[in-house]
Amino acid sequence: MSFPVAFLIMLVFLLFGIALAAILDGVIYRRIAGRPGIPVLMPFYRAAAHLSRQRIETEAPDRLNWFLAIGGYIAVGAVGLAVVPLGPESAVIGIKTSVVLWGACEALVVVLVFLHGWSPNSPLALIGAYRYVAIGLPIMLLSMFVLIAAALPAQSLDLREIVISQEDIWNVIRQPLGLPLFLLLGLSLTLRGPFDYADSTDLAGGTAAEDSGAYRAGWQVARLTMLVGFSAVAATAFLGGYLGPVLPGPVWLALKTLVVMVLVIGLSHLLARMPVARMLGLIWKVLLPIAFVDLLLAGLVALA
Amino acid sequence: MTDIAFYTLSALAIWSGWRVFRVDSMIRATFALMVSFISVAGIALLMSADYIGVATVFMMAVEMMVMALFMVMFMMNPAGLNPMQMVHQYRFSIGAGIVAFIGLSVAVLATNLPHNPLPAGRDTMRDLGIELLGASMLIFETAGVTLLATMLGAVALSSRNGRFGNSEEGALPPGLHPGGTPAGRKVEKGGGHGGHGGHGGHGGHGGHGDHGMKESDKAGDKGDTDAGHMHHHAPAPDEDHQHTPKKEH
Repeated sequence: MSFPVAFLIMLVFLLFGIALAAILDGVIYRRIAGRPGIPVLMPFYRAAAHLSRQRIETEAPDRLNWFLAIGGYIAVGAVGLAVVPLGPESAVIGIKTSVVLWGACEALVVVLVFLHGWSPNSPLALIGAYRYVAIGLPIMLLSMFVLIAAALPAQSLDLREIVISQEDIWNVIRQPLGLPLFLLLGLSLTLRGPFDYADSTDLAGGTAAEDSGAYRAGWQVARLTMLVGFSAVAATAFLGGYLGPVLPGPVWLALKTLVVMVLVIGLSHLLARMPVARMLGLIWKVLLPIAFVDLLLAGLVALA
Repeated sequence: MTDIAFYTLSALAIWSGWRVFRVDSMIRATFALMVSFISVAGIALLMSADYIGVATVFMMAVEMMVMALFMVMFMMNPAGLNPMQMVHQYRFSIGAGIVAFIGLSVAVLATNLPHNPLPAGRDTMRDLGIELLGASMLIFETAGVTLLATMLGAVALSSRNGRFGNSEEGALPPGLHPGGTPAGRKVEKGGGHGGHGGHGGHGGHGGHGDHGMKESDKAGDKGDTDAGHMHHHAPAPDEDHQHTPKKEH
């Protein structure tokens, strides 16, 4: 598959993914709340409403960083999608260190969400930003462990090799601890549910409290872009990516991405959020050791 | 193509490096530095150092985030949004800058830089791994242990129940002998501590009146609430600034 074709498929994948994620979010929320109806057009109405409103600025904001935070968040989500292989030897960004590149995107998300909360020069947004950094940094360590564990059977940091190593058995079965821990990271990267310390309603929207007009729509699109990118990476690292019988590779990838996306959205509406201090304790004392056990087991299997 | 990318990234690295010293906020300075490092990481990618390039982006993003957080915590500038001067000790820093520039230029011009293009298909990551766990292992492990010790120190300094008890109850180091007066720095007499880092060596300190005022206000408030507790180590408290000098500078 040539580069332009792969790029085009990725673009379509991304746009459909964002729209689908927005619709699924509404539908799953209503199902869980016991309300009937499938609000398909709701997110589009809301986006149109945001876009048609004027943008209100705070006093003395950092305009450049405000803009860059939103644009950068979309970009790192898109890079996540771009490192995912659509078939053998056909990722948009085909480098040998694609897992590390994804790790760099995860790290940049923390920086960008922080800047998004910092730049409006407003208290609630700033509190959201600091809270998010406290949680976002340790949860990222967790993802490093599980991703390295996923890379061990492939003996490569290349997602293409990791997919090939899953031809016999998917990583989700080989390393049962990996995907659940990685899903928690997904909640944190997309600012959702139990890990939504940045944009939660107890801070009137947190880092997004001062976003209005196009910026508000842009920030929501950025979160959905990250959701699509994350789901695709999770599907590739743990569910065998494009591998599957009969159907073509990209279709399998899309189906698996959809499964991960539904899981993340469902979890974000089902799990409760806890105070920052307790969550920090949970991450450092429980989740990180579990992630380390995951890595240890993968290492022992690789040595055996 | 590679040349254009190289010059663009170099220009970005230099420009953002210059911005570090021209912006008026710790947060902006930190992330300008991050952009500079990321540009250098891009140059590393151009030189086929795949892993080092991408890992630099990763490390710098985390590192700068942590650095920004700790600077804001220690500098009592809650948002990092208050404008503050990022440069101080002008004469010394100008001198040091010139010396460093000349030194580095001489080093670059005098070195016979290698020119051996990488053969296609060479696995640089494998070379790097063997280097890290072979000949250079001692260097990297030493650096790793040193950094770990630094991290533990930073956590001990910043945690609420730090080395000498809960900070909210006014933590003091224990005496040198049982029941003795608290060890450590004694509180000086009188206030008027302008918050100016005259003794230098305190990286990134604004050293300005505005900043100093905030600190003394804060210390003053604390003095009001638990003054009784503090008195036994403040011999002759000044009316306004009784506890200001307790701050380390």
